[in-house]
This record gives sequence, structure tokens and C-alpha cells, in this order.
Amino acid sequence: MVAENSTPHLHSAVEPKQTFRRALDMSSRAAMPSLFIMFSAILLSAPFGIPGQAQLQFGIAMCTVWFWAHSRPRSMPALAVFLCGLVVEIFSFGPPGTVLLSLLVIYGVAHHWRYGLSRLGFLMGWLIFSIFAVLASFFQWSLVCLHAVALLSPAPGLFQAALTIGIYPSLTALFVWGRRTFANPDQA
Amino acid sequence: MLSIHARQVLAKAILPLLILLAVGLVLLGLVRRPAVDGVRLMATDFMAPAYHGLVWPQERVAVWLTDLRGATDLAKENSRLREENRALRHWYDVAVALAAENGRLKNSLHWIPQTVPQYVTGRVTRDDGGPYSRAVLLDVGSGHQVRIGDVALDAAGLLGRVTEVGPHTVRVLMINDDASRIPVTLASSHGDAIMAGDDTAAPRLIFYPQDHHPVEGERVETRGQSTMPAGLPVGTVHYSAPNRPVVVPDADLDRLDIVRVFDYGDDDSQAPDAPGRVRVKKLPQNPLTGPLPFSWLPNLPDMPGRGGQ
Repeated sequence: MVAENSTPHLHSAVEPKQTFRRALDMSSRAAMPSLFIMFSAILLSAPFGIPGQAQLQFGIAMCTVWFWAHSRPRSMPALAVFLCGLVVEIFSFGPPGTVLLSLLVIYGVAHHWRYGLSRLGFLMGWLIFSIFAVLASFFQWSLVCLHAVALLSPAPGLFQAALTIGIYPSLTALFVWGRRTFANPDQA
Repeated sequence: MLSIHARQVLAKAILPLLILLAVGLVLLGLVRRPAVDGVRLMATDFMAPAYHGLVWPQERVAVWLTDLRGATDLAKENSRLREENRALRHWYDVAVALAAENGRLKNSLHWIPQTVPQYVTGRVTRDDGGPYSRAVLLDVGSGHQVRIGDVALDAAGLLGRVTEVGPHTVRVLMINDDASRIPVTLASSHGDAIMAGDDTAAPRLIFYPQDHHPVEGERVETRGQSTMPAGLPVGTVHYSAPNRPVVVPDADLDRLDIVRVFDYGDDDSQAPDAPGRVRVKKLPQNPLTGPLPFSWLPNLPDMPGRGGQ
């Protein structure tokens, strides 16, 4: 069973008429995860002075891509991940390309293992995601060290990984609700 | 229209292709970082009005809260301000007297006045730190003359230096960034040191003279070097641990709003040649050329110490 299957009562023989408005509604619902990443990346680049803003940008993008890539890949195609990654890259000032590459790698993993992940359950999925969040933060840290030609403290990277892992359950709850309601193209 | 087989091949190839592009961006960042940062500055230029709109409610709420806090304790606040005003009045008189005395002394010493630096004032568009750096972006408007290396100050003290310049926006690397190294002078002990940022609120003092350790609470000022003038207020010395002096900055690094960027110009003054460095005319390589007056002697073997070797 793949989680991208929609609710059974919507698979009736009688389909609603495909109008322009419905097509627009469906595509906006399908684009909801990507728009969420872009909107939060732009919003979190504003000078609110909230601690961990930059780390949240990375964390939200990682969690969103991971969830939708294995839960409903149609709502998160590879090209959308690339565009989201570019937006996050433009609105952050880390070493170029690290967030984009991390998002694509985590997308590849989640998409490739989506059948296995849907059987594993939440806790196991969270654990696997945590490993990749730590690896992505480590990769970012090593590139920052390479840019600076110095061994910098890994504490910010660890904080970023911890924040990414920590926000995953609450974001998953939001996405599970969204998958049934506002981000479900079948309900258009 | 593509066939089903072609579409399947394309679907399988697209992710590796995008990963290759991402690796290309990583390599571009390593080789041509300014190009990537230029695109980011352009995006910030474009988004600057939106950022102002986004933080406007937050700023209003902060102002209301301050007003509300003042209104709840009006009498106490009033007496505190009256006391502060009295103290400031005293310091104003002292400052006026000192300025007059300073003017007289400079006049009698034929002091050469320093040029007045050019400056622009800008609002912080966004905190541009990221996990590993401490930097802010300033909106300084179009047609500015800000250059890389210019000095940024807030109302209280030194904030950092300009590292990137865009059409409307400049990036200021703050003094507590890990890459920041500022030459400073300690006001009381007259020692020189380097203030090194370490991503914490208080940058460390390193390379100070071992026989003149920084004194707790003494003032720290910039030491004149390159585009950085001498005597800009930086902060005060504090020992966070034994043998670990740090500088508590005067500038409020956490809540930045209005920042001024000063152009002090290049320090192109050349030191005159010191007496010890005057070029000495070289002696001729072979002072004893030509036939010796006692050429009747037989040829001597080569010995150390003979000229012309």
C-alpha cells in the first residue's frame, strides 16, 4: 500500500467535470508543499530577530521534502524540490548549493524507499530522517570549514540538526492533516 | 509527444541530472563565491520593501509595549529620567569644557585636523547570519559610495566592516563573526591586541602583550590600520574565565536597526625611509683589478678571504 492513494470514496466511476477552475484548484493543492517551503524560506529571511531563524529555514525545507516525497510524490516532484532548494539558497547566506544538494539527496532517499517507509511506522521513519538531517548538517559544516579554511565549531550545525529533528513531529501532524484536506488534489 | 518509454527514461534521469546541477552550484560557490552572493544581494534588494512590511507589525508592537511599560510606572520613570537628565547635564558641561580645552591645546600644538569621513545611514534589511556567520544586510539606497572595508557603527560603537556591496544593499560582517579580526588598542594599559570574533556575543582578545594583560573594565578602541581609523569605541574588557579576556561590545549586536557606514578613505600615508634602511652603495665586486704593483711575485694559490671571490 502506498500512502499516495487517496480516500476510497473519492474513486467513484463518476468524476467531476474537468473545468479550468478545478484544474487550477487541483494544481494549487498539489503545489501546496512547494509553496509552503518557498513561503517559509522568504518569511524566515526577514529580520524578525527570532533565534534560529536560518536553522528553521533548513529544517522546514528538509521535513517538508522528506514527508511529501514518501507520502505523496505527485505533490513533490524532483523539479519542484530543485526550485524550492534554489529559493532557499537565494534567501540564505550559507555556502552555496549545500541546502539544494541536501534536499535532492533526501528526496531521492525518501522517494526510492517510499514503499518501505510507509510500512515502517512513524518512529522508524523519524529515526532514518534524523540520520539524514545530521549528515546534511555535517556536510554543510564541512563546506563552511572549507570556505573559511579553518576548523569551526560544529555546535551551530548540531543545533540545526537538533532543530530539524525536533520540528519533524509537529510538521508531520500538520502535513497529515493537509494531505487529507487543503493539500489533497482529489478534493478539488 | 514523448513515448511512454522516453518519459520513463526522463523520469529516471531527472534526479541525477538535478543532483549534478546542485554539485555544480557547490563547486561554483567554492570557486566564484562573490557571483553567488551577488545574486543573493539582488534578491534582497528586490525584497527590501516586503521585509519592511513584514517587520512593521513587530516594530509597532515593540513600541506599544515600551509605551505601556512606561505608562504603568510613570512616576518612577519620571524621577529616573529627571535624575539621568541632571547627570547628563553635568557631563555636558564637562564635555564642553574639555572640548574647549582640547581646541586650545590643539591650536597651540599646530595640530593638523583630520578629514571628516563620509557616511551613509541605512536600515537593517535582514539578519544575514545563517548558522555559521554573523552578518547583516543594510539598505543604503541607490547611488551610494560605500566600498568594501568601510566601517559600520551604530549609535554606541563599532559594529563591523562592509564585505559585499550591491546596488542598494551592503553586507556588514559583524565583529563577533568567526572570520572577523580587528586590531584594537587597550585604553588604560596601552597594549595592542587583536579582537577575534568567535560567534558568541563577546569577541575574544588575542595576541596581547604577555607583560601587559588587559585590565578588567578598561576601554577598547580601534587601532588605526588601513581603512580603520584609530580611536573608534569598541567596548570594554571583561574576563569570562581566567586568562580569557573578551570584549563586551558597546554596540547592541542583537537588536540592530539604524546603522551608519563610514568611509574613512585609504590610509595611503607612506612612512619615510628610516636611517637604518637607507640603501648602502655596494662596494665594487673586485676592488683589486688591474696589475698589482708587485707583479713580479709568483701566482698565489686561492685562499679564503681574498677579494673578488
